[in-house]
Amino acid sequence: MAYVALSEAEKTFILHGVEEDFRCDGRSRRDYRPMELETGLVSNASGSARLRLANTDILVGIKTEIDVPDPLTPEFGKLEFFVDCSANATPEFEGRGGSDLAQELVLALENAYESPLAFDYRTLCLIPGQQCWKLYIDILILECGGNLHDAVSLAAKAALHNTKLPRVTASLLDAGVTDLIISDNPYDCTRLTIDTVPLLVTVCKIGDYCLVDPSAEEEACSTVSIVVSVSMRNGEAFLSGSHMTGGGAMHRDTMRNCLNLGLSIGEQLNTLLAKVLKQEEERVGPKRPKTVGFLK
Amino acid sequence: MLRVTQTKNALLDGATIAEDLYTTPKDCEEGFESLELPGKNPKKLSPLLRAGVLTTVRGSAYMEYGNTKVMAIVAPPHELMRATARRMNMGVINCFVNFAAFATGELESVPEREKHLGSMLSKALEPVVCRTEFLNFQLDIRVLILDDDGCLLSTAINCCGVALVECGISTYDLVTASTACIYRDNVFLNPTAKEEELLRKHRGGHALAGSENSSSTTTGAPQEHGLITTASMDTFDQLAQCQQCGYLSPGTYVKLLDYTLAINKSLRQIIRRVLTARIKEQHELDVREKAESALEDQRLAEIIERLGRQGLDEFIQSTIKEDPFVKR
Repeated sequence: MAYVALSEAEKTFILHGVEEDFRCDGRSRRDYRPMELETGLVSNASGSARLRLANTDILVGIKTEIDVPDPLTPEFGKLEFFVDCSANATPEFEGRGGSDLAQELVLALENAYESPLAFDYRTLCLIPGQQCWKLYIDILILECGGNLHDAVSLAAKAALHNTKLPRVTASLLDAGVTDLIISDNPYDCTRLTIDTVPLLVTVCKIGDYCLVDPSAEEEACSTVSIVVSVSMRNGEAFLSGSHMTGGGAMHRDTMRNCLNLGLSIGEQLNTLLAKVLKQEEERVGPKRPKTVGFLK
Repeated sequence: MLRVTQTKNALLDGATIAEDLYTTPKDCEEGFESLELPGKNPKKLSPLLRAGVLTTVRGSAYMEYGNTKVMAIVAPPHELMRATARRMNMGVINCFVNFAAFATGELESVPEREKHLGSMLSKALEPVVCRTEFLNFQLDIRVLILDDDGCLLSTAINCCGVALVECGISTYDLVTASTACIYRDNVFLNPTAKEEELLRKHRGGHALAGSENSSSTTTGAPQEHGLITTASMDTFDQLAQCQQCGYLSPGTYVKLLDYTLAINKSLRQIIRRVLTARIKEQHELDVREKAESALEDQRLAEIIERLGRQGLDEFIQSTIKEDPFVKR
């Protein structure tokens, strides 16, 4: 994580704030900082989203490509994550400084999206065993203000919601080689369902208390945090991956509390994100003409 | 599903080639059926563990768990290479995991897995080592996987824990780790590679199909599948790392967690025994060495005493041995 210089006194102040359930910026332990979300701003990507969580700024672009499915999973499409820590975010990321953090984020996301119950890979399938979509999820960290895991997963989910895959109208089978015919109309496209797509929630332990959405300063004070990936299915919260990070240990009961906190927060975040995405959709509107020009 | 046509090959004289080009979810099903399902009583733990297997490094350990064979090497901390990490007020742990060329069947995913295991291993060991003791230093831990048959991460953690003690790095507690996974309502403790493969490679492919059937007919609950690796320090019941993948409900998660903690407790006894045996062995070696050096000292003292008594010339004459090759 980005380095923040904090003195012992400052750390104690933050710790006391957490104990009083009144953090430096006036939040309680279960509150998130204000978020801004926009989708569809990158015109060259199939889907994109920008999320600003107080000082954390994330831009996600999704590119699509046709690929051959893995022989072991002929009905599944593919996802590939890439995280780029821009040197704008903090001077430490210059050169290869951000690669460790980037790798950690990629691993966390890959782990969370691994299960086919969390992300339905079959929606990316074109012809089983022969052709499938491969989505490149490129995540750019523009500014680093703490709680990257949550911000990145929220932005990735929003970008997936925004992703438009061109509709395949026909396929030719010629001597075992398939040729796809893809619709010419740029508005004729399919969308992905993102109901079960997981969100990562970082539950941070400061002193004896657990809290969500730590700022960069609070991250510097925490002994240990647990990243919980929450996937909603049939109205129930499931865990689709979790790990501990931060170089500390915790008791089993503490961990159970953290887990429950993470799950309930993840549930709320999920409904909130769905609501916001729907609003955004209505605001920008899909009221574009179905066909353009006189070709059809 | 891709249909594979059976190709007639004239050269093979009527024989056919290519049954199925790849493993399908059906094979996964067959694979599952061929597995020995875990009984009521979990299988007996019989890890083979050795401390101090190499003489070239300070701390080394070797562990066999089932067919999984892992070796860990710990060298004393040395100065930090990267200046950026120096701002941290703690020592840095770097873990490098390497697969031996013959360790695993599929070679494609090896670099990826090495990275993943390395990062998870350092996360698991960070809380164990007293990192405040080597400020501005880095501790390099190398793990060599000789054979992969499941539970790699947990075996590596166990092995590193022993190697750390062997190297004399101060740790807060002994660390033990174990793995549990669930697939189609069957809990496998310390799964073999075959069982892990069902989960990872087929990505619970069948679980998905099963969930659809069940949701349309009876329950509607998706088939859970998942794997938990827990590293714990049992003196104060602390969890050093708890990593999970797959798709689990919170209830199942806690259930699996408790299973792994129970195994960790029994593993701890074994590790303690191994370490005590190692220390005893080392003590015996030390005692013997001390006795030998005492003997040597005594011999030297005798010589010196003789030298003082006899005078130089006489001493030389008396100690010159007759040259056997010179004829009289």
